[in-house]
This record gives sequence, structure tokens and C-alpha cells, in this order.
Amino acid sequence: MENDNELIASALDGSLQAWETLVRRYEGRIYNFCLRLTGNRDDALDLMQDVFLGVYRNLSRFRGESQFISWLFRIAHNKAVDLARRRRANPVKDQGLPDDPADWPDDHGVSIGPQALAQADESNASVHRLLQALSAEQRLILELKVFQSMTFDEIAMMQDISANTAKTRFYSALKKLRALMEGHHELSPDP
Amino acid sequence: MSCHQTPDIVAEHFDTRLSPSARQRVQQHLAACADCRAELALLAPAQEMLLSWQHEPAPDWERSHAQSQPLAAPAHRPPLPGRHARLSWKDAGRWVPLAASLVLSVAVLTQTRLDVSEQGWQLSFGGDASNVSWPQLDAYMAAQASLQQQQNQQMLESALQQFGDNTADTLVQLVDWFEQQRELDIQRMEAGFQQLLDRDYQTVNSVQQLASYVQFQGDLP
Ligand SMILES: [Zn+2]
Repeated sequence: MENDNELIASALDGSLQAWETLVRRYEGRIYNFCLRLTGNRDDALDLMQDVFLGVYRNLSRFRGESQFISWLFRIAHNKAVDLARRRRANPVKDQGLPDDPADWPDDHGVSIGPQALAQADESNASVHRLLQALSAEQRLILELKVFQSMTFDEIAMMQDISANTAKTRFYSALKKLRALMEGHHELSPDP
Repeated sequence: MSCHQTPDIVAEHFDTRLSPSARQRVQQHLAACADCRAELALLAPAQEMLLSWQHEPAPDWERSHAQSQPLAAPAHRPPLPGRHARLSWKDAGRWVPLAASLVLSVAVLTQTRLDVSEQGWQLSFGGDASNVSWPQLDAYMAAQASLQQQQNQQMLESALQQFGDNTADTLVQLVDWFEQQRELDIQRMEAGFQQLLDRDYQTVNSVQQLASYVQFQGDLP
């Protein structure tokens, strides 16, 4: 099987097949990233297409020094932030939710469309909802670490931060998530 | 949390790609540190919650759509900010510190800073707009503006030499000439913006943001 860099080189040479192979290799990961973010399949598909369009348009700039997946997720993250900005008409910030979960808006962050996950999959819907309550930076670190299984060194290189900063961010994000869960689900009592 | 290593230990504990030796170090610390053990127990449900995500396969889609339309204008591209067709002398004065070269240099500067950096420019365009460091941009603009003023002065002096005596007619000529220079400047800037947009879709928002910022500053009395 050809590696990413070989596929990219062929795609840049105009090979449609190489491009499709590359896309198929990563579309599941990107699609689920988009799904976690948007909370509905229509928007996730739109966003995924936007990401791959951005990847294609910038393919010649990929230097092959970093991993393709890092580069891909940097574009994906940027597209996601762009989308959130367009939807909200103001920048993604660390937005807290009201204390009472009953006051949480259904469409906090990016809107939930007709194919809302809540109908199909309760656990995915709650993951989406909780992630929406985090800052973009916190969401990104959890995405890269938990879902993409990148190492802290890889994340550090991708975001131009130190590995220690990456670890601290991960820890803070997890703590914030835990606090939100307590407010929302009453899962387990404090140890 | 009274153990200063807790963030590290927690992060490394949940790191599925930790090296065996680092894993051993974490285990040893946990065996000896009740604080970190307690924090781990507290945070474990958060990690589990994330891992409860059910992967969905991507639906079928037109994968080569992007390639079949190379560099076509994407649907979401916002239009360039508008401007007045022709600047009056008064308005041109407002543009003086904001000439094309300056605006473009900022745009290019930010483009090279597409990756979020912890130092220098934090514009991180295409990224989180809350990182935009407006005070820094202000300072940069101010510094460039004074440079621009000097250049304008030189331009004016050479123009005066060219036009010779200072009659009303030549003054009008001079104003016209000056306006033309500014108009050209702005055209160059627009062409530059367009180039940036064509080249890198990711910077669209950023350049537009920058442009509206510049416009806003230009509109100040
Ligand atoms: Zn400890």
C-alpha cells in the first residue's frame, strides 16, 4: 500500500485515483470529527467536504516534514472554527453554559439540524453537546489526543507549543469536561 | 491538587501511546501519590465518556469533486470588501498611513503565521479569531504609518520639483497626480488581496477581517 507522501505526489501529478485513495484513508476520521463538532450529519458532510477541498487546494504546500494527519487536522480545525464563526457571527471563545442544565440551549454552538444525532444516538449526542461547551482549543486537544491518538510530541509540533503545554491543556480540558458532566448527568458522586 | 506533577501524570496516564519506560514512571508515581490517584479517579469518567463515541462511516460523496474543479471559486468565499470607486483628496489623506504595501505586508505576514505561534503575531488567521492581537496590529500599523509619512513626504518633494512653481494650476495637477498614485496603490492592494484569496482559501476570513479593520481605521476622522 502506498504511503501518504507517495499518494500526495501522485495526486499532485494529477492522479485522481491517488487522491481518492488518500481521501478514503482519512474521510472516516474527518467525518467523525465533523460529526462531533456539528452534531448533525448534513453539516458534518458539508464540513468534511470543505476540509478536503481545503486539503486539495493546499496540497502542494504540504512539505512532508510533519505527518499528513497533523496537517490534515490543522486544516480541519481551521475550517471548523471558520464554520463556528460564520454560524455565530462572533469568534469561538470559552463559553460557559448556564449552571442549570435545563437552561442549556439545544443548539448551543453549531446548530442541530433535522438529522440531529440526539434522535439516532444518545451517547454521540452527549459527546457532541459536552464538547460544544469547551473552548476551541480544549476541543482540539481532546480531539487530537483521545480520538486521533496523536502523541503529545506530535500535538506539540503541530500547534507550535511545548509538549508540557499540550499536557497541561489536555488536563485542563479533561477537568472542564468532568465538571460539565457533573452538572449535566449526575453520573457518579465525587470520590 | 497539591502534587505539582498532577497535570503531567494525568495526561500521561491517559496517553495510549506512552512509551513503556514513561508508563513505568507514571505507575511508580501513582503508587506513591494519593493526590494523583484521586485526580485520576475523578477524571476517568470524562475520558470514558469521550470513548463512548460510536464511529460512523462517512457517507458516500463526490471525492474528486475538488479535483475536477481545480482552483474554482468555492461557494462560501465571501466577497472582497467594497470601497469607494474614487477617493477624494480628503479621503486619500486618510489612506496615507494605510497604503497598499503596508496592508499587504500585514496580510502576507499573517499568512506565514497560519500556524498558531506563541510569540510574535497571534493573528492565527483561519484559526481562532480570539487570538487576533489587535493591540499588536495597532502598534505595527502606527510604526508603519510614520514610515509611510516619510515616504509620502519624499514623494511630495520630488513631485514639487517636477512641477516647479507653486501656482494654483500646478497644485491641482499635483493633487491629481497624488490621487493617481494612491489609486494605483489601492489597486495593487486589491490585486494582492485577490491573489491571497486565490492562493489560499484558508486565509479568506483573515484577509477579509484585516481589510475591514483597515477600512474601519481609514474611516476614522
Ligand atoms: Zn502526584
